[in-house]
Amino acid sequence: MSLAQRVLLTWVFTLVFLIMLVLKLDGKVQWNWFLIFLPVWVFDGILILMLAIKMAGRCKPGYDPRNGSPDLRLRTWYLTAMLLKLGFCLTLCAKLEKLADVKLTFVCIPLWTMLLGALVELGLYIFPERREV
Amino acid sequence: MLFSLRELVQWLGFATFELFLHLLALLLFSMLVALKVDLLTQQLSWWLVFVPLFAADGLSTYFTAIVSIRLYQENDKRLAVLRLLWVLTVLSLKLVCEVLLCQKLAEQDRARDLWYGLIVSPLFILLQLLMIRACRVN
Repeated sequence: MSLAQRVLLTWVFTLVFLIMLVLKLDGKVQWNWFLIFLPVWVFDGILILMLAIKMAGRCKPGYDPRNGSPDLRLRTWYLTAMLLKLGFCLTLCAKLEKLADVKLTFVCIPLWTMLLGALVELGLYIFPERREV
Repeated sequence: MLFSLRELVQWLGFATFELFLHLLALLLFSMLVALKVDLLTQQLSWWLVFVPLFAADGLSTYFTAIVSIRLYQENDKRLAVLRLLWVLTVLSLKLVCEVLLCQKLAEQDRARDLWYGLIVSPLFILLQLLMIRACRVN
């Protein structure tokens, strides 16, 4: 997918989610919270599917790991991050719908893990480890 | 994931360090929200909870000002002005949304007229701007 297509995909889902969220918060619609998060589920589903297909492509016979694609460790981290985000959204919806009586701290644990991982990833990029010559 | 870091930096117009700063602020903010909701409902005010986000906006503005001054001194005046304008627009829209949301949460009885559509409207403007910028970057 080109950059424009990826941006359009992100943009459409974010816009639809924001509109649905505002409608719910302002009391204009009485939909279920899981339904409000529908754009998030679809978007995450697409991303996880894309990642899974790319990771499965590495298992094909004759695959050359030196063709410049990001390594398996990075892709595994991306998949974990997506699952953590999905876990956070699911528990948040369950809490908002009063399906589960959990503290917000426990709901936020997957989000914090994901954010910490992203910070480490960015930190390694900003402050690369010094290698001895 | 969907975007590489280089693409994100190009699209959003923020340096990697600024992205790091905003992510850190989001992490601290979410921790404070959980703390306020679960433990310190009365003691911790919403304005205090939003401090990490305000601080990140302030630091990002300071960082951008320095980068723009350096670019201006190196005779890259057009880039300096464009970068300053873009980042200030994005940060001010974000700040307006944060302040309105904070006001709504802090003064729920007095801010009844402040509906969420109004609070999120800066984000809708920001989304349009990001789409236009994506077309330019592409």
